[in-house]
Amino acid sequence: MMPLFRANLALTFKGLIRLPGFWVPTILFPAMLYAFFGAHNAGEGPQAVYAVASFAVYAVLGVAFFQFGVSIAEDRQSAFATWQRSLPGGPAPIWAARLCAALVFSTAAVLLVLVAAAVVGGLSLDPATQLRLLAACLLLAVPATFMGTALGYLVSGHSAVAIANLVFLPQAYLGGLWVPPQSLPAQIDAISHWTPTRHMGEVAWAVVGATPIPPASLLAVAVFTVGFIALTWVAYHRDRRRRFS
Amino acid sequence: MFARSPSSTLAIEAEGLNKRFGNVQALQGFSLSLRPGEALGLIGTNGAGKSTALKLLQGLRVPDSGRAAIFGQPAGSSGAKSRVGITPQNADFPEQMTPREMLSYAAAHFQTPKPMTELIEAFGLNRIIDRRMGGFSGGESRRVALALAFVGNPLLVFLDEPTSGLDTDGQEMFQAYARAYADAGGSLLLTSHHWDEIEQICDRIVMIDQGKQILEGALDDIRRRAGRSRVSFAMAEDTDLPAWLIEGFTFDSGRWHAIAADSDALVRRLIRDLPRCRDLQITPLDLKETVAQLRKELAA
Repeated sequence: MMPLFRANLALTFKGLIRLPGFWVPTILFPAMLYAFFGAHNAGEGPQAVYAVASFAVYAVLGVAFFQFGVSIAEDRQSAFATWQRSLPGGPAPIWAARLCAALVFSTAAVLLVLVAAAVVGGLSLDPATQLRLLAACLLLAVPATFMGTALGYLVSGHSAVAIANLVFLPQAYLGGLWVPPQSLPAQIDAISHWTPTRHMGEVAWAVVGATPIPPASLLAVAVFTVGFIALTWVAYHRDRRRRFS
Repeated sequence: MFARSPSSTLAIEAEGLNKRFGNVQALQGFSLSLRPGEALGLIGTNGAGKSTALKLLQGLRVPDSGRAAIFGQPAGSSGAKSRVGITPQNADFPEQMTPREMLSYAAAHFQTPKPMTELIEAFGLNRIIDRRMGGFSGGESRRVALALAFVGNPLLVFLDEPTSGLDTDGQEMFQAYARAYADAGGSLLLTSHHWDEIEQICDRIVMIDQGKQILEGALDDIRRRAGRSRVSFAMAEDTDLPAWLIEGFTFDSGRWHAIAADSDALVRRLIRDLPRCRDLQITPLDLKETVAQLRKELAA
């Protein structure tokens, strides 16, 4: 299994690293957005720290949507992916390599947000808080990833980028990742509580604020995770039936 | 140089395969067997069912009914995949990767892969082995696809239109390698629209039409079954030709041609009625003509 994992890891990383059009915007855009708008809008004090957490979650979400959502949708239409199916070894090493790549790119994207927070926002988060935020983001990458995979198996390669943006950007706004939830209009705030991103945000805000994570948000993140896994499972099998049965 | 097939088990054993896509019955009771060390050409017009048959045998599709086994292992199982090499008909490789990286990637999936140097040499990859595949021509991509089919040192190779888009050098290179592979005991299933390629590589053909096998046999047997030859001759242009000749012959490239069951009788008649005919030749039919002839007889 290890040689196959290594082979897939090399294929995945080389493929992505040599495609700056993918990774530069994916890992740079959240930090850029934070530097241009997030830092300025948040001002100073605790809100500034919450903004860093918000954009860190936004960064993880971007990697999940674009690395998993879009790339899976495109793969489903590629003859290369069909040829990969003809190789012995099964899909597990391919998936493990993709997950690894997603975690690495998520980490890079979160670290860039932290760098932007220090350089542009003038914030000096202590290392323990930064580590806690990074750990929380990597855990939150799990539901985000399954959201991406579900999308990847539900939409076609041609429409994947448009639909990913259509889901991703409203999710970020509704979840209070761009604008603090307190500043959202009342109706939007009411909707916000039903989005996974709001609860992902709540987890990250509690981590940087050193306050207990709201149990309702933890439960909601768990429920959304299970829901997205189930949706991925159903979409994956539907896709297999269509293409290979 | 090549892995040898175990002689006791059939390389491919498919029985009664049926597959329907919506209203289209792509395969109807299709059966096929391939002995180890045999090279089989699967032929048929576009939409005849060749690609569907290949997909079922490769385990990339599941039959509605029937069964397919590769060296005794269910098609598509890990045991079957580890013995098989496949070249995709349409190879859209990741543009950022090089052929060397792709060959290494594929080799990692097999116990005893072929040395990369052998594949580079055999498929003329020297110039392009470390170039990213983004700017490759169709022929260059095809060479990589062919090398990938053999990288795992497979006992059986599926080659779907292997030389489409390949230049003459590449075609010759591939044909020599494929023939050497079969001669060394490798099994091979080839689909191609190049009849000369099938004649060059294959020992046996199966013809498929509307999802059904309509013709099967060793190349020599098929030629014997057709029992025809081509009779051709040249003639001065101002010669008056008898009506029977104009009806039975076609004129092409300065010569008159006919396919005859009894070529001796035809030649005798030509000499009697057309004493001025020149360069009279009797040649065996090529595979394309033989198959066309047999199809005509089957249809009748």
